[in-house]
Amino acid sequence: MEKINLGVIGLGFIGKVHLRNCLNLKSVRVVAVADSSKKVLNYAKAFGVKRLFTDYHELLKLKDLDAVIISLPTYLHAESAIIAMEEGKHVFLEKPLARNVEEGREIVSAAGKNGVIFMVGYPLRFVPEFVDLKSQVESGALGDIQMAYGVDIAAGPFFHRAESTTPRPVPEWWLNIELTGGGALMDLGYHMINLLRWYIGEVSAVKARLGYRFNFDFEDYATCITDFECGASAVVNVGWFSQSAAVGIELHGTMAHARAYHSPSSKVITAVKLILGRTPRFFIPYLKEVSHFVDYLRDDDGENRLSGEDALKDLEVIAKAYKNQIK
Amino acid sequence: MSLVGLVECKNRNVDSIKGAVSEAFRLIDYKLLKAEKIVIKPNMCYYWDWSTGQTTDPLFVAALIDLFREEISPDVKISIVESDASAMKCKYAFKYLGYEKLARDCDVDLVNLSTVEAEKVAVKVADEVFEFMVPKIIRDADLRVNVPKMKYMSFTKISAALKNIYGCNPYPRKFEYHSKLDKVIVALNKVMPFNLHVLDGLTVCGSKTLRLGLVMASRDPVAIDAAVAKIMGVNPKSVVHLRLAEKEGLGKTSFIAKGVDIDYFRRRFPRRSFSEKVIALGYRVACKLGLDKRLV
Repeated sequence: MEKINLGVIGLGFIGKVHLRNCLNLKSVRVVAVADSSKKVLNYAKAFGVKRLFTDYHELLKLKDLDAVIISLPTYLHAESAIIAMEEGKHVFLEKPLARNVEEGREIVSAAGKNGVIFMVGYPLRFVPEFVDLKSQVESGALGDIQMAYGVDIAAGPFFHRAESTTPRPVPEWWLNIELTGGGALMDLGYHMINLLRWYIGEVSAVKARLGYRFNFDFEDYATCITDFECGASAVVNVGWFSQSAAVGIELHGTMAHARAYHSPSSKVITAVKLILGRTPRFFIPYLKEVSHFVDYLRDDDGENRLSGEDALKDLEVIAKAYKNQIK
Repeated sequence: MSLVGLVECKNRNVDSIKGAVSEAFRLIDYKLLKAEKIVIKPNMCYYWDWSTGQTTDPLFVAALIDLFREEISPDVKISIVESDASAMKCKYAFKYLGYEKLARDCDVDLVNLSTVEAEKVAVKVADEVFEFMVPKIIRDADLRVNVPKMKYMSFTKISAALKNIYGCNPYPRKFEYHSKLDKVIVALNKVMPFNLHVLDGLTVCGSKTLRLGLVMASRDPVAIDAAVAKIMGVNPKSVVHLRLAEKEGLGKTSFIAKGVDIDYFRRRFPRRSFSEKVIALGYRVACKLGLDKRLV
């Protein structure tokens, strides 16, 4: 089968992860990369990408391009995804879908209108521990889920480099709520809500208590109390706390309980593997989500597991959580 | 030999910190004299707050401000200074690290040294001449107080009093100095000598973050850094900028420790393991070879 000609738009942290993963996919040909920084484009050049653009609009005009991965800042998601779709390109968009529900709806609608395939990145859906938990739910081993707990604690903007004392600065847009649409709840809660909806079903009500430990204009931690249409309830804790990571789900069913925790990769091993040109464990869920996108484009995979409609539902839940704050 | 005072402060509140700092001053025979303008330079690093052990606790600075107002004058003008850096902008750091609140509560000024009047000064270190902009606010202060942290650093082994003054250089693209970091640290301390060094070791970051409850004071930045190195398990003589600072007359690596036994803190400090030292060395080598560009 023909290879998919892919472009990568945005070479921030996750954009670089996607680029390196795509270069390792046999079914993909990375034909172009766009980033507003010429210096950053050298990163792609070093990996042999020939067509480099500082303006992504130029990249989207390429006739031989089938699809794009968009990993731009959140405030550019709607604009860039819609333009790509209007150019007839299939789109894989980094999460969150958009800054707000309105923008999210516009993107989903544009995908339908232009008849292109659209997926949103949810790497946790491809983490083996969480996939195994889904199998347990589907097998009926847990019975009906009554209660659940989700936690996602990550460094967020406080990320250290491998030797653990040097900061990895986040770009300035991270610090502007107008450009991000939210804080830790948007960044991390989005993953948790998606996983819980996958396991339990649709959310009927949600409330949130937001925390402001670091004096940002947006929350750096949050607790959500979530009710599901099936009658189950869940508590979700998310937060940016220095270095320690904790990502997990616990499900309590009428017949059994199950839990899945995703252990973080060693930053040192990750750094060494990257220097040696190998694929670190941290990259694998990202590799699998893009493989799923590409396989779906090639008709090798029957179900769009990362649909825009699904991402829109997550965004709607997050928007409700912001609206229904527990003071 | 210079005096270094070491005091244990078990509680993180203004009164306890103030008491510990006063005791540290007493140990080094330091008397607060008449002053009209005081500059305080805490350690800010990126947007990591005090709980990481990487940056000076605003509560520690609040205690110092209280003490200065009590001992010197309630009207003394106090400014907290910091400059923009490659990975940090003061407009965010002041807010996120709790200094904006401190400035409101204690009625002090927050000064971004990258935006204030400064004059060019040349300084020679080990036969090399450097030029820096020296902010007027630092030059004109009657009392310059350095409030560093104690940390490991890939390029200089340790970061404490001398390294904290690196943050007084108004030039924001500080990474450009990395190839000559040791000389530049010494040069900046020569053009902007601080009178007093009060180390916030309440929460420290070594191989992990820990509540150490240490307050240290000295008039000699080299002596206090030598004491820091000892606590952190680093031979002071192996720290290039310490050796160079001593040679350039900024202070002495030999010191008299007064107060709590230095070994008490040395035993408790979360020192780096052998593997962590190897990782730090590996990172340094990777940066020198340009291999860090292959990271994401």
